[in-house]
Amino acid sequence: MFSGWSWVAHGLYLLLNICFLEVSGGLVQSCGHIIPESPVLALGSNFTALCILNESCLDFGNIYANQIIWKIKNRVVPKEQYREINRTVSSVTFNDTSLLATPLTCNILADGQIEQNIYGITVTVGLPPEKPKNLSCIVHQESKLTYPMTCTWNPGRHTFLDTHFRLKYRWPQENFPDCIPKDVNNSCTITDVQFFVNLEVWVEAANALGKAESDPLVLDPIEIVKPLSPHNLSVNSGILPTVLKLSWENRISAAVMKLKFNIRYRIIGDTNWMQVPPEDTASPRTSFSVQGLRPYTEYVFSIRCMKEDGVGYWSNWSEEKTGVTTEDRPSKGPPIWRIIDASHSPASWTVHLMWKALEPFEANGVILQYEVTVRAKSSLSSPPEKYNVNTTNLTLKLPNATYEVTVIAHNRVGASPPSVLLIPASNSKAPVKNVRTLPKDGKLWVGWTAPNSYVLKYVIEWCLVSNSSDCIIEWQNEPGNLQGTYLKGDIKPFKCYLITVYPLYADGQGSGQSVKAYLQQDRPSKGPTVQTKKVGKAEAVLTWNHLTVDEQNGFIRSYTIFYKTIDGNETAVTVDPSKTEYTLSSLTSDTLYTVRMMAYTDEGGRSGPDFTFTTQKFGKGEIEAIVVPVCLAFLLIVLLGVLFCFNKRDLIKKHIWPIVPDPSKSNIAQWSPQVPAKHNFSSKDQMYPEGSFTDVSVVEIEADDKKSFSEQDLKPFDLLKKEKSTSEGHSSGIGGSSCMSSPRQSVSDSDEGETTQNTSSTVQYSTVVLNGYRDQTPVQVFSRSESTQPLLDSEERSEDHAGGSDSTTQRQQYFKQNGGQDETNTDRPCFERTKQIIPANEGDLVGFAQLQISGQSSQPLGLGLEKNTQEAALSDVLQTNTEGQTVRPETVEGNPLSVDEMPKSYLPQTVRQGGYMPQ
Amino acid sequence: MAAPDSPSAALRHRDLCSRGIRLAGKMRSDVVDLLDTYVERQGLDASASVAAMEGVPAAAAERWDEQTGTQRLLENLAAYRTFRALLAQMLEEQREQLGEADAALGQALAAVLLQVSAFAYHLEELLQLESRGPPSEEGAGPPPAPHLSLFERKLRGLGVLRELAQWAVRSARDLRQLAKPGPGSPAPSLAESP
Repeated sequence: MFSGWSWVAHGLYLLLNICFLEVSGGLVQSCGHIIPESPVLALGSNFTALCILNESCLDFGNIYANQIIWKIKNRVVPKEQYREINRTVSSVTFNDTSLLATPLTCNILADGQIEQNIYGITVTVGLPPEKPKNLSCIVHQESKLTYPMTCTWNPGRHTFLDTHFRLKYRWPQENFPDCIPKDVNNSCTITDVQFFVNLEVWVEAANALGKAESDPLVLDPIEIVKPLSPHNLSVNSGILPTVLKLSWENRISAAVMKLKFNIRYRIIGDTNWMQVPPEDTASPRTSFSVQGLRPYTEYVFSIRCMKEDGVGYWSNWSEEKTGVTTEDRPSKGPPIWRIIDASHSPASWTVHLMWKALEPFEANGVILQYEVTVRAKSSLSSPPEKYNVNTTNLTLKLPNATYEVTVIAHNRVGASPPSVLLIPASNSKAPVKNVRTLPKDGKLWVGWTAPNSYVLKYVIEWCLVSNSSDCIIEWQNEPGNLQGTYLKGDIKPFKCYLITVYPLYADGQGSGQSVKAYLQQDRPSKGPTVQTKKVGKAEAVLTWNHLTVDEQNGFIRSYTIFYKTIDGNETAVTVDPSKTEYTLSSLTSDTLYTVRMMAYTDEGGRSGPDFTFTTQKFGKGEIEAIVVPVCLAFLLIVLLGVLFCFNKRDLIKKHIWPIVPDPSKSNIAQWSPQVPAKHNFSSKDQMYPEGSFTDVSVVEIEADDKKSFSEQDLKPFDLLKKEKSTSEGHSSGIGGSSCMSSPRQSVSDSDEGETTQNTSSTVQYSTVVLNGYRDQTPVQVFSRSESTQPLLDSEERSEDHAGGSDSTTQRQQYFKQNGGQDETNTDRPCFERTKQIIPANEGDLVGFAQLQISGQSSQPLGLGLEKNTQEAALSDVLQTNTEGQTVRPETVEGNPLSVDEMPKSYLPQTVRQGGYMPQ
Repeated sequence: MAAPDSPSAALRHRDLCSRGIRLAGKMRSDVVDLLDTYVERQGLDASASVAAMEGVPAAAAERWDEQTGTQRLLENLAAYRTFRALLAQMLEEQREQLGEADAALGQALAAVLLQVSAFAYHLEELLQLESRGPPSEEGAGPPPAPHLSLFERKLRGLGVLRELAQWAVRSARDLRQLAKPGPGSPAPSLAESP
């Protein structure tokens, strides 16, 4: 407890003591200080600092050197580096100053607990300056009297310290003020120097750690002058067209420096400078005449200078000045060529003369006009014709002959040498051979093999081949000793050029040899459009058009046809480029194919659009091979049928067109009235032994007769229909009905017969009209026979009963069923016969049909047309009769003998009770 | 005239003569330019004649061609030392009179002064090569300047410059004479002349 209070009291005392010292001293005072004060240290050296405590602090605060703590930037220095020299002095040692930081403080631990700062110093670490190296100086002339000298040097490594450089210079007997660099440490400019006296120059570098001097440089400043370039340069054309005179002013006194010069010049627009030989301008001067220039050419000049002996520096090039040389005569005649158009008339030509404008270096001025002279070689007596033109072409109409054409160019100074072109009547001389081309260095080279004869010169013609423009001919001349040249023109890549080489001889001209060429090829811009010309079962003929020249972009080397099915692999076929048609074979029939075509140049190919086609299912002739035999077979069958029918026509006629028995010719007259009917029946077979009765007889019925029947009269027909239906239709006609007639009915029939026989002796055989035509209301008509054939016994009796009741005076016609069959059927039971009658019924039906038609139109119609309708009608009839038929067997069975006993009659058998009634 | 003995001394002699001649030529050129500037700036008449003034060495010499080399060098050195003092005095007066307003004239005067000093250095070097050290400068300075009016000072300055121009011509000739090959000495080719 006591110890704690003691510490506090001691601390307070120490603080008060320090405050007292500060106040009493009037200045900041501390209990010690460090030696050295803010040192500058060499990097890497060792360093020792001392902290010295004031005696006053020892007395009042019990502070001693062994309590000192050294710190570098708040970091305690290890105690191993401390050394207590005495009770008031402590030292610290650093073996390497690069480990130092600032500040370095001396602190004390009062009573071993409270740390107090006694003093601190700032430590600066750096390097001494290096010796400046590579000192060099140059005197830049700034004006006629001002020659500042600028010296530069290498300042050496960075020192981390404030280092001052000074450029020092002196004469042996006189010193000058130092030149101190501004803002830099490696150069300085002395404003004015004096020539012809050696000047000693050196650089001094100094900082807190030392000083260093460069090696001295001893020089006469006149030897390091870079003079100002000559000025006021002027260019004047001289008397000669190849000379220009330059004049200028030097800006350095000859007393100071004698100069030599460089003169350079170039044609305006050109970038390459030419130079006057230096030895021609190696002496002091202010003018020079440049020779060997081109006439009428604008030149650009520039000049520079330096000390005559070559010691020092060249000045900058002066400003550029231009000058134009004067004109001179054209140095050569214009190259000339011609195009001959002999298409209008073989006897005369249209000659297009054309010549090239001279190059500027050949024209030597402004070409004012061209003088063209045309002289016919054949007629020497005729004077040559002269033309003065301003353009570079001339078109003449000349008779077919040999001409010599001369062209002379004129400028202001004079005329050019003449250019001569011989135009022979025919190109009969030897042509060149083996014309070939080769793209090279972006240009197109044309080569040829020279003819054996001496060639004066060659003319190479060329033009761009295009679909969109005409072939505009360009040309150039080449000397006769050449066998190849580059085309001089704008040769474009991917374009086709037609190149022709003509050899020109002294006495004639050879025909041109042509070749097509490309400067550079590319893939075609599009592929051929392929389509089918003909498609077969297993082959297809493809056609296409050649690509146009503009689309080719090169020489078409081949075509390739690719074809495939929907799901098959693609097949490629290579085709010669000259072809425009190709036949694909071995195709699958009835298959969809896709085909496309590629055109290839040396650079690659391009595909055209796809085209699809389908192969045919049948090959050529296959259908014909099937159809023709079938047709032939059909025809043969028809023919055989016709023949058969022809042969059997009688039989057919019998069935289709039965002969209606003529009652007038009937042999019934031979019948004896006393002869029982059954004998007559048996005799019928003898009368028509061959069954030659026609089944149907057409009887005309007047239309008005229809009206003569009332509906009541027609009702029995419905019954008749039913009756026939019950017997399964196909009624055998009247005979069948009679079989089913009851005795009562027979009596009724007899009554009717009496009625109908009332007016005359004509006998009604049978009349049945069942149905109307098509949709017309069926009209049932009874037709009456007017036959004179004697009636059967029963009929005769009936006639007696019905004699006066039949008031009908109309003539009626009817047709009669085959009576023979009726007779046959009568021997059988009615039911049996009904069944058996089916096959034979068709003829009966036909008979019905005929009857019906005749009832409607009174005209016989074709069988086939009405057959269906008739069958339907008949079907109704048969169906209706079914009901009536159901009771019929009893009747029949109940009176089985009545049939035989009944007199044979051809009255309508369908009439039953309430049936046919006399009207 | 005593010729330099060693080849290196001969080369040095030739070099000093050569550059001395060119320096004299440049000095004359600069002095002529300075005269124009001086007349213009001081408001003097370029055609004004100035009588010989006391303390200004005269370039004219009797029996010039009979002088020895050393004699020529000594006369030149004495003259240029005097001119150096005169020009320094003129520069001081010019600065006092015009201050920094006419820096061009001051710079030109300073440049000529430097060239005079340089030429004097050349002469001293040549005299050393002649195995004769240069005389001391005691008594070689200009006489104490009399109290002159401003215009008189201007005229005096004009006279100094004109005489300096004359001396430049003479010095070039003297050095050319010195550069001529003596018996037994290497023949330097000094074709240059200002």
